Amino acid sequence: MATQHSRAAARVMISPAVILLLGWMLIPLGMTLYFSFLRYNLLMPGANPFVGWENYSYFLSDPAFQTAIVNTLLLVLGVLLITVVGGVLIALLLDQPMWGQGIVRILVIAPFFVMPTVSALVWKNMFMNPVNGLFAHLFQALGLAPFDFLAQAPLASIIGIVSWQWLPFATLILLTAMQSLDSEQLEAAEMDGASPLARFFHIVLPHLARAITVVILIQTIFLLSVFAEILVTTNGGPGTASTNLTYLVYAESLLRFDVGTGSAGGVVAIILANIVAIFLMRMIGKNLDA
Amino acid sequence: MGQITLDKVTKRFGEVEVIPPLDLEIGDGEFTVFVGPSGCGKSTLLRLIAGLEDVSGGQIRIDGRDATETPPARRGLAMVFQSYALYPHMSVRKNIAFPMKMAGVPEDEQKRRIEGAAKALNLTDYLDRRPGQLSGGQRQRVAIGRAIVREPAAFLFDEPLSNLDAALRVGMRLEISELHERLKTTMIYVTHDQVEAMTMADKIVVLRAGHVEQVGSPLELYRSPRNLFVAGFIGSPKMNFIEGEEAGRHDARTIGIRPEHVSVDPSGPWSGVVAVSEHLGSDTFLHIHETGLCDVMTVRAGGELDVHHGDRVRLSPDLSKLHRFDGQGLRIA
Amino acid sequence: MARAVTPRRKAINTALAWGIGILIFFPILWTILTSFKTEAQAIADPPLFLNFDWTLENYVTVQERSNYFRHFWNSVVISVGSTLIGLLIAVPAAWAMAFVPGRRTKDVLMWMLSTKMLPPVGVLVPIYLIFRDTGLLDSRIGLVIVLTLINLPIIVWMLYTYFREIPGEILEAARMDGAGLRSEILYVLTPMAVPGIASTLLLNIILAWNEAFWTLNLTAANAAPLTAFIASYSSPEGLFYAKLSAASTMAIAPILIMGWFSQKQLVRGLTFGAVK
Ligand SMILES: Nc1ncnc2c1ncn2[C@@H]1O[C@H](COP(=O)(O)OP(=O)(O)O)[C@@H](O)[C@H]1O
Ligand SMILES: [Mg+2]
Repeated sequence: MATQHSRAAARVMISPAVILLLGWMLIPLGMTLYFSFLRYNLLMPGANPFVGWENYSYFLSDPAFQTAIVNTLLLVLGVLLITVVGGVLIALLLDQPMWGQGIVRILVIAPFFVMPTVSALVWKNMFMNPVNGLFAHLFQALGLAPFDFLAQAPLASIIGIVSWQWLPFATLILLTAMQSLDSEQLEAAEMDGASPLARFFHIVLPHLARAITVVILIQTIFLLSVFAEILVTTNGGPGTASTNLTYLVYAESLLRFDVGTGSAGGVVAIILANIVAIFLMRMIGKNLDA
Repeated sequence: MGQITLDKVTKRFGEVEVIPPLDLEIGDGEFTVFVGPSGCGKSTLLRLIAGLEDVSGGQIRIDGRDATETPPARRGLAMVFQSYALYPHMSVRKNIAFPMKMAGVPEDEQKRRIEGAAKALNLTDYLDRRPGQLSGGQRQRVAIGRAIVREPAAFLFDEPLSNLDAALRVGMRLEISELHERLKTTMIYVTHDQVEAMTMADKIVVLRAGHVEQVGSPLELYRSPRNLFVAGFIGSPKMNFIEGEEAGRHDARTIGIRPEHVSVDPSGPWSGVVAVSEHLGSDTFLHIHETGLCDVMTVRAGGELDVHHGDRVRLSPDLSKLHRFDGQGLRIA
Repeated sequence: MARAVTPRRKAINTALAWGIGILIFFPILWTILTSFKTEAQAIADPPLFLNFDWTLENYVTVQERSNYFRHFWNSVVISVGSTLIGLLIAVPAAWAMAFVPGRRTKDVLMWMLSTKMLPPVGVLVPIYLIFRDTGLLDSRIGLVIVLTLINLPIIVWMLYTYFREIPGEILEAARMDGAGLRSEILYVLTPMAVPGIASTLLLNIILAWNEAFWTLNLTAANAAPLTAFIASYSSPEGLFYAKLSAASTMAIAPILIMGWFSQKQLVRGLTFGAVK
């Protein structure tokens, strides 16, 4: 029962959050958009003339851009594939009766709480290093030649590291969703003669569909912006072999100090993220009504 | 004191008029039951009386004073909610004490009343538990305890038993009735269950789509329902309605006869085939087809009657208990 | 309800699950173990698992050489500070949206969420320039401001989903019981809201502690929190595995412990209530 009075009070309570977020969104966004049409390099002070779409055509025609787009997609899709499939399988396993379930759960979730720079450096040095890494020792013990992961397969290595960080998230959410499945439904299917495999595909998987979608969408938002892992392992290299869009924009802006091109890249990144965001928002919005 | 008067009380939600102008008088000490099908506006009416909803028009008077604009806390009413609405973070004792704390009742008086209520409601052993640790029936009692200690002018109950299982429901029904006998405070009780209405009420208010269909004592409603709706709603099993030729013979559009007023009688004027017979021991309910009068006729017969599916029986109505209704569905006196 | 299974089946499940759990956890375990080795033992071939001379010298060295606790303290200030300020702004907003919903509440909520979907790199340049010009670069205040803003939508959302679960009938009961607005908030609403606020606090400290875009781009030696400090190990000199491990162990330990306590809230907070 909201009266006039309480409505006015509510507006006052909401406004600080709204004003701050509005400022946070509009001011930098406007500036990015504005810079993207200027020739503007921090190393070359002076006038910053308006150059129309020049920055965009420069950025979009840069071979590094095409590589970056491909790398971004590979990174996102690779990590999604590993985490969703792995997450479903592990969640399925963790949902079975066993001893010490709580502890296993804790072990599985732990990587999510490791800060990106730590996990990237630990993997880079202590596992993937071609001389002293554990993998090198392991390969040696098996009589294989050592493999320099970050030099020979930089993107795949980064996909591996990022997957390790996000697998817990997917697992946790899918496990939560799985536990909300009414066991009577499964028992009914069993009575109807459905095999375990049929039960998985006809009951468990459809039940998880929503949670899987949420995992995919949310991870995509974060994965489009993977940065620290690349910065501390490969610096985007060798060459541009492991440069994604985020890293490319960072390199243009803060390594080459080309604000104009960097801003144009930023706008491209925003457009890309928005495509995903629209789908995600729809899902969440639907849930809000329920 | 707890006399409540509704004078042309109206409630609209946006464009929808849920309660059209409604007049009602609830006497001091009366146990009044609002009964009607789901969605007919019972809760809305109760919440208007409580002050939890603002009226769109009309006046509510409590003990003669205009209370239309009075906030809920100062109407001197206590409410027991369907979900119990206990404070989950407070012990039972604190839950019961809360309204007194708000009213600034002195500590020792609070203690005295809590103990009194706990004793009356069998809660003494549970006073230090949280609501989450109680069964449904116990939570219900705490909610009632919280209402009692305020010593309100009237109690408002909104379907308080609908979350309990059948056995518990009968028990709590008796407890609430006893409480009323003991306190003699006005009570307004909302339910969609006509059995609760019949067993507990001094006065029943039958509602349909926000309209008052009839007001009266349980027996008045049972004996002389004002229209077809009330006739069908009050009484269990439902009254049999017969139209057509047989009704015309009694100068009515529709006639009604309760199952308990039809008997199995070899010389009776009606006949039909038994579809189902339910043997309860004390009674037998027969559901009879092919009477040529109505689809299914329900008959309450003696307990140990030996009839079964497919038997043809003859039936005899008690004509003195026949109800007659006109084309508008209104009772013909 | 888990159905009874044969002990054999349960044993297989257990072995499989523990195997996978330990495999996933192994890099963390290995980091912790390595932090107690000497640098020579850290790269020993074959690798040493438990049979080494446990030493704390790495922890001492890390602190002595690089003033570790300064960065640790930066992390604490930045994550706790941004979370507390965020709560201060978000509690009234979420409160109002949950209890006095208007026609546009849902739109406002969705819009707030949409700001979270903005890729940080899209606003990197302007924020960097604004910070450079206002002297906020490499300052803790600057990071507190940015992290408050980027986590504000999550805080509002989490609080909103918690507040919305407080049943309206209880508030009505309080009103019937004679509670005024002040008592209603003090005795009924706040106690029921505290668990939700606590979970929100916990999750957001974790998120802010691990944030590694803005902290890397907006700090240098002075205000660098642990994320940025650890990144300095990417161009090492000499043997450093044990020291990297010690620095890493200290950086993740507090969050690992908090994280384990907030598993349930994690799901709700990171899916904006879409999965519970
Ligand atoms: N807050 C509200 N807003 C709009 N319509 C409402 C609201 N509360 C109740 N109604 C409508 O008013 C009618 C009566 O509801 P209610 O009093 O709860 O019925 P009852 O308690 O008899 O089942 C219903 O049709 C319901 O949909
Ligand atoms: Mg109702």
